[in-house]
Amino acid sequence: MKTETANTVVGICMIPLGLLGLLIASRALDAEMSVFGYGLILFAALFGFSLIKDHYDRLEAAPARMPGADHE
Amino acid sequence: MSDAVLHGATLPARLPRVDYNEAVVRKFMIAAMFWAVVAFCVGCYLAAEMSWPAFNLGYEFTNFGRLRPVHTSAAIFAFGGSMLFGTAMYVVQRTCRARLFGGSALADFIFWGYQFFIVMAALSYVMGFSKSREYAEPEWHLDLWLTLIWVLFAVVFIGTLIKRAEPHIYVANWFYLAFILTVAVLHLGNNLTVPVSFWGAKSYALFSGTQDAMIQWWYGHNAVGFFLTAGFLGMMYYFIPKAANRPVYSYRLSIFHFWSLIFLYIWAGPHHLEYTALPDWTQTLGMAFSIMLWMPSWGGMINGLMTLSGAWDKLRTDPGLRFSVTAVGFYGMSTFEGPVMSIRPVNALSHYTDWGIGHVHSGSLGWVAFISFGALYYLIPVLWGRERMYSVKLISWHYWIATLGIVFYITSMWVAGIMEGLMWRAYDSQGFLQYSFIESIAAVHPFLVIRLVGGLCFLTGALLMAFNMIMTIIGPRPALNAMPQAAFVAGE
Repeated sequence: MKTETANTVVGICMIPLGLLGLLIASRALDAEMSVFGYGLILFAALFGFSLIKDHYDRLEAAPARMPGADHE
Repeated sequence: MSDAVLHGATLPARLPRVDYNEAVVRKFMIAAMFWAVVAFCVGCYLAAEMSWPAFNLGYEFTNFGRLRPVHTSAAIFAFGGSMLFGTAMYVVQRTCRARLFGGSALADFIFWGYQFFIVMAALSYVMGFSKSREYAEPEWHLDLWLTLIWVLFAVVFIGTLIKRAEPHIYVANWFYLAFILTVAVLHLGNNLTVPVSFWGAKSYALFSGTQDAMIQWWYGHNAVGFFLTAGFLGMMYYFIPKAANRPVYSYRLSIFHFWSLIFLYIWAGPHHLEYTALPDWTQTLGMAFSIMLWMPSWGGMINGLMTLSGAWDKLRTDPGLRFSVTAVGFYGMSTFEGPVMSIRPVNALSHYTDWGIGHVHSGSLGWVAFISFGALYYLIPVLWGRERMYSVKLISWHYWIATLGIVFYITSMWVAGIMEGLMWRAYDSQGFLQYSFIESIAAVHPFLVIRLVGGLCFLTGALLMAFNMIMTIIGPRPALNAMPQAAFVAGE
């Protein structure tokens, strides 16, 4: 699988994960579940943003790389 | 030395360069360093609580019951787990000559997802949520999250093995694979629970009574066997030959070590439940298989130590390698002690005493932590492209302070444990118990304080390591022609 495709699939998975966190946080019956729900939202959001940042970092770095260096 | 030379094979003169995913390995190494310090800090605090109960401070979130799983989880899963994930990802790439399967985002997700699990688990413990199953305390929703991370880790590891460019699967990968697959089965089996509600954290185990205890210790003992032994043996079989620049002493013995360990370990769990309601034959079975474990354990130890044949002089100049070799010595010692403690007459004396704590720490500090420190001191300069660690002298200081700490720790716990066992079984001439329980607690108090001193020594060593690593990482990068031999070897 190409790196970009694999990364996109992982990025898309952050959407249901964040929504699940939102659902859990909204319906939590105890403090522990509430913390877990909010944590999941934060995790999904930050991880999604980090993937976007990494994508543009790679694009910027691409011209500087030696051809054929990536054997993915 | 190339990776293929680890098992005596030869390489073609020139191989195509592989763009390994080292970023995720670097992240795991930093996390391991961080969690090691956290785990040792909490451990020292708990040792102080055991010596002077006033350290409980009267708050529910600082009492021993809630902080104890924070210590064990931080040490085993956070520090040990980060080392295992990181080194497994490093070793499988190098020995297979293939980049990690699944792309960089998946590897990063595994890293951050695992760290998320650790933080959430620690928070849940201090908030008072626990399944009350030793080494499996996180509640059901965190178990599900860990299952997701673990399955993805297995996919990445096995996927990399499948797409390997090397025809042979090096033995370290077999140990890592056994660790990944068996821990997955153990985790799923032991954590079968029924949640009270989908929106609440509380759950109840599917099993009850003796069956529940047996399932728990089938898990508990094999967590030691496959998380803390098999995985770290994978580390031993890669990093000792690399650091010593020697092939494995006997590749045939390593294969024998693998299969016998895998077959025997899984049956030994019942030795944690001797003199309980567990059927007698099951206790005997656990004891017998524990004794049989001497064979692979010592075979592996001999294989690790003999790999140094012709390179013993390196121990004088490479304190990182000294950590690895001492770890193998502790592996041999604690895997000798464990089966002895499983023999029922010995168990009658040792069980429920501090001897068990001493045994666990000779394994966790002497074997798990030392083999990890050895791997860290090898990997940090390689991963960050540095000539060597910031200070070799500090590594040496770390080694001696940590070794002294372990000696304080395990000898005090041996003495305390045997004293407790003897006091608890002592009868007077009329058949009454000679000592009350509190008298045994008062008697071992000095040894609990010595244990704290040992823990503080070990923590001091870890702080020196953290300082050394930070200075190495932020230090200047050498010119290409000044790169270390190890970096060229690993990077090929």
